[in-house]
Amino acid sequence: MSADLHARAEQLIAQERVECISQAQRDWLTAHLQDCAPCAELARQTDHALRGLRTAAIPLPSGLASRTQFRVRLRAQELREREPQRRALCLACALSWAFGIASAPYVWRLFAWFGERTGVPKLVWELGFGLWWTIPALFAAAVLLMESSRKGDQLDWMSQGS
Amino acid sequence: MSDSISCLTPHRPAYLFCALMGDEAKSIARGLQKRDPDLLDRLIEQYQYRLFRYLMYITGNKERAEDFFQETWIRVLERGHQYDGKSKFEAWLFAIARHLVIDWQRSKKPQSLDTLTDPGQDHPLQLVNENEPSPLHQILSQEKEENVQASLQKIPAIYREVLVLRFQEELQIEEMAGVLSVPLSTVKSRLYRGLEAVRAALPGGAT
Repeated sequence: MSADLHARAEQLIAQERVECISQAQRDWLTAHLQDCAPCAELARQTDHALRGLRTAAIPLPSGLASRTQFRVRLRAQELREREPQRRALCLACALSWAFGIASAPYVWRLFAWFGERTGVPKLVWELGFGLWWTIPALFAAAVLLMESSRKGDQLDWMSQGS
Repeated sequence: MSDSISCLTPHRPAYLFCALMGDEAKSIARGLQKRDPDLLDRLIEQYQYRLFRYLMYITGNKERAEDFFQETWIRVLERGHQYDGKSKFEAWLFAIARHLVIDWQRSKKPQSLDTLTDPGQDHPLQLVNENEPSPLHQILSQEKEENVQASLQKIPAIYREVLVLRFQEELQIEEMAGVLSVPLSTVKSRLYRGLEAVRAALPGGAT
């Protein structure tokens, strides 16, 4: 029997277990395995390895599920408590942007008037107007940074406690 | 060869199976969006063994697997709204667990999953716990167990992982590609190499 036939059989043995093979390929393989002891042994070893893998038992640590359920419930409670704050923050940001857009023409005129009165160069008061627009974003970023650093501290504390 | 493992596709009516799985996944997705604590309790109970086993195989360390187990469920709670119910819940769960392990590795030092539990590393795979024998463990032949577990220690982690996902968790290749974030061809080549490796690693296997 040629080496090519054994190589094909070996490939089909693996392919049959990883994907699927056609009926014609299966018939060929069955016929080959009946005549070829080394390939039949290879198929047997593969099945043995897979059966071993499927039945390998790993002992579960006692109380793992209950400890995890407790931690998850604690975290869920924490998230629920924080939810109104998050909503308030989102609302404040939305209102701030809406107010900013609505008041932009008036603020522009105010900056222009202030520039004329004080003799500040046009570029400076225009930059001032731009900075005025970034104030809500800076405020929101500061709040979010504070939130994430607090969350990080709590995660450290929880992982130390586990 | 009556007990041989042939094609691994489920033989039950496919449409019924898919419909039931789809309903289950949708119901889980709805519960996770609401952060339903009872649903989470049930899921933790239901998937505890499979998730812990997967984590044991990819971390190779019981204490670390326990930590990642808890962190995975915390992440499920926090990111539950991202699960859309279109894929199997377990595939999404394993993907979260895997990303946590990889993130942890990255935070330690730049290395890949291969080095985490590969032969010759500081923390060999600790699958057997002599103090806590499970009923199944007692029933099964001790010799066979030890052979399989010893042979698994010799396999690189990337191959062990795909073998576990395919032959223990019975995920489809497409689902595995989602969990591992790699193309289908990569999953298949890892499976073939893993199969070859586990066969060679078993006593009396091809060398």
